[in-house]
Amino acid sequence: MIEIGRICIKTAGRDAGREAVIVDILNDKYVLIDGNVRRRKCNILHLEPTGKKIEIKKGASHEEVKNQFKKLNLPVWETKPKQKTERPRKRKKKRETKTTSKESKKKEKEKEKEDKKEDKKERKKEKQTNQEKDNKPQKATKETQETKDNQP
Amino acid sequence: MPEPRLRSRSLRRVYVKTPGGRTAVHYKHRKPRVARCGKCGAKLKGVPRERPYKMRNMPKTKKRPERPYGGVLCSKCMRELFVSKARLIS
Repeated sequence: MIEIGRICIKTAGRDAGREAVIVDILNDKYVLIDGNVRRRKCNILHLEPTGKKIEIKKGASHEEVKNQFKKLNLPVWETKPKQKTERPRKRKKKRETKTTSKESKKKEKEKEKEDKKEDKKERKKEKQTNQEKDNKPQKATKETQETKDNQP
Repeated sequence: MPEPRLRSRSLRRVYVKTPGGRTAVHYKHRKPRVARCGKCGAKLKGVPRERPYKMRNMPKTKKRPERPYGGVLCSKCMRELFVSKARLIS
């Protein structure tokens, strides 16, 4: 029963209960299988042969097996290539970023202090200018008042 | 004497040797029963025997063997089932 092209059902492991076809016979214990299972070496004891048989060459490729399986309306196992996912950053890098963030925070604080100092200086200047402005018109008014008082 | 609620045997007792040389009694919850095969009743391998709070935090792949009927049937019963199915078809 174990021959190239024989359709079997796998009875052990992750692919148990799925259809497979014998593609190659490796030795008296092991065969190469393909089909609705992952293409792999398999122990004969883990296969249950069925009455069906398909015509394929020894060591047939996955696409040949796929075409034959489509004729029998059997599903085929497709291995998807692994998509590269972004790994989470290492902790060391995070620490570096943290230290940089601390430094940046320090710098920000210093900047804020400087800004505050500058603001204070500006305010003082403004105050002084305002006072001068206030003083001048006051004097002027006083003078005018005096003039006004004197006039009559 | 321990507290009245600890005098029943619903909690299991674990004897712990402290660093000071004294043996202290710790009270811990009992573990659930072993998972068994649904067909033959054999003990299932690869299914951990833990309290629900530990099972909840465990990944699915660590809680049962990764094959059809994993964690429900033992490997022998699963194989018998698939062999019989294959023979019925052929």
